[in-house]
Amino acid sequence: MNTLLKLKKVNLKYQTGKKNISVLKDINLITKKKESISIVGESGSGKTSLIMLIGGLERATSGKIFFQNQEITKLSEDSISEIRKKNIGIIFQSFYLIPNYTAVENVALTLELNKFKNPEKEAKMLLERFGLKHRFNNLPGQLSGGEQQRVAIARAIAMKPELILADEPTGNLDTENSIMISEILFKYIKEEGSSLIMVTHDQKLANKAKRKIKIKDGKIK
Amino acid sequence: MVKLNNSSDLKLVFKYALKDFSRNYKKILSIIVTLYISLFILSAIFTIEDSLKKELNDNAKSLLGGDLEIDYNRNQGNLDLINQVKEFATVSQMIEFSTMISTTNREKNKSLFTRIKTVDEKYPLYGKVVYEPKGAYERIQKEPNTILINESLTKTLNININEVIKVQDQLFTVVGIIKTVPDVSGFVAFGDWALAGKQTLEILKLNGIGSFLNYEYKVKFNHNDNAEILEKKIKNIFKNDQKVKLRYPENSASGLKRIISNFSQFLSLVSISAMLIAGIGIANTLLSFINHNNMSIAVRKAVGFYSGNIKLLYYMQLFILLFIITIFAYCSSFLIVPIADKYLSDGLGLNINPIFSFLNFLKIFLVGFLVLLIFSIPTINAIDQVKASNLFRNVFQNLQFYYSKKSITISIFLLSILILLFTLGSENPVYSLGYFGAFFVCLIVFFLLSKLIIFSLKKIKSFSNISLNVSIKNITQTKSITPITIMSLGLGVTLLLTLALVGTNFKREIAKSIPDIAPDYFFVGIQKGEREKFEQSILSMDPNASIEIVPMVSSGIVKINGINPNTYITPDNDSYWVIGSERRSSWAKKVPEDNPIIKGKWWDLSKNNQLQISLDAKVAKDLNINIGDIFTLNIYGREIEGEIINFREVDYRDLSINFAMLFNPQFAINIPHEYLATTKFDNLDKFNEIQMLKILPSLSMIKIADYLNKVTSVLNKVFIAVTLISTVTIVIGLIVISSAIMVQGKVKEFQNLVFKILGFSKKKVVFSSLIEFIIIFISVILIAIFFAVIGSKFIMENIFELVWKFDVIVLIYLGLSIGLVTLLLILLTNLKYLNPKIYPLIRNQ
Repeated sequence: MNTLLKLKKVNLKYQTGKKNISVLKDINLITKKKESISIVGESGSGKTSLIMLIGGLERATSGKIFFQNQEITKLSEDSISEIRKKNIGIIFQSFYLIPNYTAVENVALTLELNKFKNPEKEAKMLLERFGLKHRFNNLPGQLSGGEQQRVAIARAIAMKPELILADEPTGNLDTENSIMISEILFKYIKEEGSSLIMVTHDQKLANKAKRKIKIKDGKIK
Repeated sequence: MVKLNNSSDLKLVFKYALKDFSRNYKKILSIIVTLYISLFILSAIFTIEDSLKKELNDNAKSLLGGDLEIDYNRNQGNLDLINQVKEFATVSQMIEFSTMISTTNREKNKSLFTRIKTVDEKYPLYGKVVYEPKGAYERIQKEPNTILINESLTKTLNININEVIKVQDQLFTVVGIIKTVPDVSGFVAFGDWALAGKQTLEILKLNGIGSFLNYEYKVKFNHNDNAEILEKKIKNIFKNDQKVKLRYPENSASGLKRIISNFSQFLSLVSISAMLIAGIGIANTLLSFINHNNMSIAVRKAVGFYSGNIKLLYYMQLFILLFIITIFAYCSSFLIVPIADKYLSDGLGLNINPIFSFLNFLKIFLVGFLVLLIFSIPTINAIDQVKASNLFRNVFQNLQFYYSKKSITISIFLLSILILLFTLGSENPVYSLGYFGAFFVCLIVFFLLSKLIIFSLKKIKSFSNISLNVSIKNITQTKSITPITIMSLGLGVTLLLTLALVGTNFKREIAKSIPDIAPDYFFVGIQKGEREKFEQSILSMDPNASIEIVPMVSSGIVKINGINPNTYITPDNDSYWVIGSERRSSWAKKVPEDNPIIKGKWWDLSKNNQLQISLDAKVAKDLNINIGDIFTLNIYGREIEGEIINFREVDYRDLSINFAMLFNPQFAINIPHEYLATTKFDNLDKFNEIQMLKILPSLSMIKIADYLNKVTSVLNKVFIAVTLISTVTIVIGLIVISSAIMVQGKVKEFQNLVFKILGFSKKKVVFSSLIEFIIIFISVILIAIFFAVIGSKFIMENIFELVWKFDVIVLIYLGLSIGLVTLLLILLTNLKYLNPKIYPLIRNQ
């Protein structure tokens, strides 16, 4: 039983006014444990919608999604939250750190939510691992883009999740920082054995993944 | 509401609530300020009321003057029974009466109708008399013709210590000045009074009716005796004496307690209005705060926080905020007590100290909690609209108030609890309920008005004036602050205008209307043989004076239809006074002009040898009396039965001679009586009080103007307090408006930036704000005046039963003042958005 994630005939439609827009069409996807996948495609092709569905942040219009053999499409929002907080880490293009929390507090939030005994200590260890020892008590506004994204990665991996979802993790960064972030990310999944599903426009980054999926007009090609 | 999870979740949420609160409190400053002001006012009212009531309860025995009071009213009473009480308790006799006091040996002597309390050497049984100089109090007991006068009397008649004054036709030396006495009663609070030794009564010629004599015996039990047993014993001693009334400490100062409860009820209602207005602002600021935290909420959802826990996080922050503010508001309300103490000690001789009451703290917290909850439910429920998926799209839409059937039901339920909390415990639940009804009607009308304005302005096609177009756009745009501005300003202005109209009408009635129709003087104590002498003396001073003189007799209702009158009415009824003690009654041949008969017929001349009674219609209604019912009256010790044969509509407001009971003259003429007179002088200066007292030394004169001045002075203080508290509602309304503008600050900045780029001058921006304000304010003021007129008319005519008149000057004055302040506030708040920094805005920073 090596399957971590399974999507079966998943469809996603949005309604704008009287119009129904099909964003994802009959998506079938199986992800194994420790696998890294990059999703590429043009803007508006449905890449981000796909990882939103996988993360349980959006509900599929039809089809089934299984995470660790449990169908999550039928679960309540709170139950999905429970799965997400323990098993899924998400990294966003725009970092999304809580502005009035320090770097340590942003990372500790996830740990505390999972009832860690020393969340701040754990958070500091993670940040130190990412070269942010000198930034423990800085607010996001006092950090550079690269530093903010490192904090965001630390927050996402704090729980050692089975699956990391990354949406354009280097999209808002310069080349130097992009390289640093991708190295950190891939080093981490290699060391800890997490799976990664990453949406990116950056071909170099996409190529680093074991499997590359291309989406066009809501369908996997 | 939110689902509560396990205790560790709760602990975590609480931890984060504390953390968030410590970092966010500056962003919700307007919530803090409005909540603090409204809770402070409520705390101050509760604290002062509690401190006052505690003072009254702690000093109940002092206020009553003993462990028990035996009140014989106008009669000396049964001394044998009193002596029986003296066998096991200390008894102090006190006799109060009213008479004229005049200055002597001055070029222009002055006189005043004064209440005098004669006391024996045992007085006071509880508490102490504060006076100066030392030894003065002992002198009035030992030396005849000595008197102590109160501070008010020294000022009114300008009397000094050791000066000789006249009490009736007797000379008395003022040996000292009284500061306070322990047994405060109504007259002490209100006017001029004096204290004299027990021998004084024998020196003066007092008559029963005109002197308003009152005999009281104060009883103090021995220290080790059981009060309950002795109370029963005394009750038993007087069980067959119908003239006596026994009073206990819990009955002391009951009138004062009722006034305090009524006044604090009214002020509490005004303060809860302020809180509800604050609630509108709280909901608005909170929504803006949540919008500001939109991304943080989405992040929390993304990392696995339940939506319910996030809502709980916000509720907890509000809870923490409320707890801290309640502590501050409650503690700072103690600072108001010394100010209230100064007024109260001057007027009543009561000293109040702040008292911490956990129950009061809880009540204030509960009120704040309910208001916060009612207004935050639709706001915090908006958190459900935040989606973690927004983080992928980088799009955060502004949240809207979220109303579900469940949240509406909970809000209505909480609102009902809030109303019940203020209604059930109040002195007058019907009035409280009426007040809340009127408040919510006004709220709904102002809300509908805002919608009507928006709807009407939307229909208007554009004008050539760009400022006007912008102002109309501002009013009608989605999420415009028009409804909030109209509701908060409208409610505050309505309340202030209503109270101002009531205040000016009340003062006008007392200062002008009543004196215009009321007589200048009341004369009491005109004996049967002195009537002509009295009339001649008045007319010799002012031939054009109009005199009304009527016979007067004292009588008490012993039975109604053969049974105890107390079974017909409860002491809290307005008409209880009719049976409470002996009343003065008169007789008349013709129906008095201002007392029309509304039921029954005038005297039945075929029954001249029977007592017939004409009764005040309101008293008849309150006592549930019908034509043909029989009253048994005690007149000078004789019990006489009389038949009720008609009801009259009696209007006491003109202060002319009015009686609840009139007798048929054919029967009553033979009853021993004296006269009561009123006089309206053509020229008041022609009347000489001192001269009149020389002619009729036992005459008592009550100058109406003196009493109306005293009433006006008390009312002025009351209205200052009322106006101050109602102004708070306006202040809170203004804070709400200001915070609403600030909530829109970002939008305004963008708007002004676009205007700047398009070449729209600052002058035009300010002008558009001005037009916007004028449109809103004119609508608000018109509706507020409409409500204020209806409200004040109802209060004046139905509650105070006085004449109401439209006072346009007050409305213009207040309307312009509020308008100017509001305009200034709006312009000042908008000022900082007039110069937007272009770079950060166009870079979307």
